[in-house]
Amino acid sequence: MQREEKQWESTLEQILSRLNDLKLSIMSMITVLETQYETINWPTFLDNFALISSHLTGISKILNRRDVGGSCLLRNRTVLPLLLSQDRDDQLLQITEGRLPVFSHDIVPDYLRTKPDPTAETRMIAHEQKANSLNNDAAAKQVMQFNKVVAHVSDIISEQREKWESESSTRAGVQQTSSMTDTQALVAAVGIGKGLLKMTMPPMGGPGQVMLPPGGIRPSSMMSSVSPQGVGHLGKAPSSVKTNIKSANQIHPFQRN
Amino acid sequence: MSGIPSTQDLLTQACNNKIIPNQEYLLQGSILDSASDHLFQRLKGLCDNVESGPQLFNDHELCLSLRAPNQAQPLMLRVRRSLEVDAPYQLRYIGQPEFGDRTRPTLVRSSIDVGCTATVIEFLTELGCKIDYEYFSKGYMFRKGRMKITMSKILKVGKGDEALSQSQLVELSVLAPTGQDAIGEEMKAFAEQLKPLVQLEKIDYKRLGSTLP
Amino acid sequence: MGVTILQPYLFQEGKGGITAIEYLTKRLISMGAKQAGSFIVDCETIVSLSSSMPQPPSNKAVHILHNSEFPASTFSILDTGAKHIPLVADNLFDLLMIKIGNVYTQKKQPSIESKGPRFEYGDFLIKLGSVTMNGNFKGILIEFEYRPCIVFLNCWELMRELIQGFLGISISSTYPQFFQQQTLISGHQSLKQNDSFQAIDTINQYLEHFINYRKQTTSIGGSTQITGLPLRS
Repeated sequence: MQREEKQWESTLEQILSRLNDLKLSIMSMITVLETQYETINWPTFLDNFALISSHLTGISKILNRRDVGGSCLLRNRTVLPLLLSQDRDDQLLQITEGRLPVFSHDIVPDYLRTKPDPTAETRMIAHEQKANSLNNDAAAKQVMQFNKVVAHVSDIISEQREKWESESSTRAGVQQTSSMTDTQALVAAVGIGKGLLKMTMPPMGGPGQVMLPPGGIRPSSMMSSVSPQGVGHLGKAPSSVKTNIKSANQIHPFQRN
Repeated sequence: MSGIPSTQDLLTQACNNKIIPNQEYLLQGSILDSASDHLFQRLKGLCDNVESGPQLFNDHELCLSLRAPNQAQPLMLRVRRSLEVDAPYQLRYIGQPEFGDRTRPTLVRSSIDVGCTATVIEFLTELGCKIDYEYFSKGYMFRKGRMKITMSKILKVGKGDEALSQSQLVELSVLAPTGQDAIGEEMKAFAEQLKPLVQLEKIDYKRLGSTLP
Repeated sequence: MGVTILQPYLFQEGKGGITAIEYLTKRLISMGAKQAGSFIVDCETIVSLSSSMPQPPSNKAVHILHNSEFPASTFSILDTGAKHIPLVADNLFDLLMIKIGNVYTQKKQPSIESKGPRFEYGDFLIKLGSVTMNGNFKGILIEFEYRPCIVFLNCWELMRELIQGFLGISISSTYPQFFQQQTLISGHQSLKQNDSFQAIDTINQYLEHFINYRKQTTSIGGSTQITGLPLRS
């Protein structure tokens, strides 16, 4: 309970401070209006309204707040006038800064909002008259009709909801258009040969294949394709550079195919 | 007498003026086969080649490495040839990818791309390069300004060209001279437009390497 | 591009290279040829001392050549000792070769180049190249190109006539050795003389001569590749 009270107090405090802010900004606006009305920079003056409206939204937010517990909602509270008096009340005059001298039945409907809006009141009266003029059968009929319409609308809405839900769930399936693991696998394959490394040797001369001697069997294929001179040259290869260049040139480059 | 500058001079001049496109900016991702048509339609709508339509390609790519006795990191070369049209072979050098920090929008790697004759494979193998692996890459190529977007099926060579996975590789790349990092942002923006179909990201190759058996 | 024949120019000892080029230029202009710029063919060679591969270690040479006639290409020829493997690539290949070269244990050979003026003479293109190795004059290579034709066999007689007339030498009607090689085109044996001529064929001829020049560490004497009699002027 204590916790509840504390929450209640803090809510009230918030409202109070907001109200004070609102009051101050209105006051300063009025001061400006009264004292500097000749030199006012109107565009900046208009900013005051924005300020006030932001204070108002802040207050209405607090007023409409629905707390989780639901116990300390402001809208669930009622304010009751306990004592009305025609006599002048000095204390009241002080706390209202001289605005309200008497707390009488005259002002209660406005200040405590016990009285509805006049337009709302006239409409209310019209409805009540209409309701009173109806007989029971007609009323029952109308209620039935109304229920029917409401049920129908609710059917339509729930049907639509089902449709949307199934649609969004299938869309969630479509959204699976790419897979990170596949990306990784493909990039690894193309970039570093992952998953491809073991099949490097294409069958020789197969259709659509490049004619290239596979690296693995290169030494033997090279030997067989090279003439005896060439083999001899290769055998001598580790000797010095100069002799190698010479021997390479002894084989005329264009005599062999 | 000769007013013709030597090739060496021209090359150094080109290098100094930074006109050689030797940096590849890259983002990668994949798309499941089932959704590939969806992506295809979206790319068709987003990209430049509206009139000509997307370009079909079917390439055979070989990855070769040249190992030096005193260097740990082998030199990686790639040879690509088209199986569809009689085009020159393409030889590529690709450097180590730089992942960079978080602020860098794409992967950057140095790249030299040259067209060449079909003798290139024999040339390289005789030079001492070893064929590490190879694959077929079959799919579509799109262009958007300087950007190149490919979506392709990666197939193993032999064994009836078995697909590597149930997804297609999607790559967004730009080849540009050094120092044009602004292109990265452009690519990032384009990649955003393909979400949530494809997540194009810079993929850390080092992490891939560590999981290699 | 047409068929190209590379012909070393033999000139008398004592006469400088510059004098010879001046003489040839004068002769071309008097024939009615027009100078059209200049050209350069250069060659770098990297020799790997030992390969790191588990193959029998062998010394392989990579020749990298450029031809100003094909400015977007780099020509490389790998000489494994057993065979030559040509590779024509975009000229960015030079950058890539630096990377490959770093991996190789290498020894650079002196760079060699042939450059000079370039003449148009009707359908022919004639280039007078002074060959220098590390800046030292080595000799003169003349390139004859007959542009409307790409098969050697069909224009050999015409070209022979021009070369004989221009250099004042007699050239045997047997085909130069370069065009007698057997080639393998999509599985068919064929002779070079019947094939369509390609840019790499010009490069191969240059390389052949460059290698010869490198071998002769001294004298300026001519090559013995093509039979030709010295000009008597």
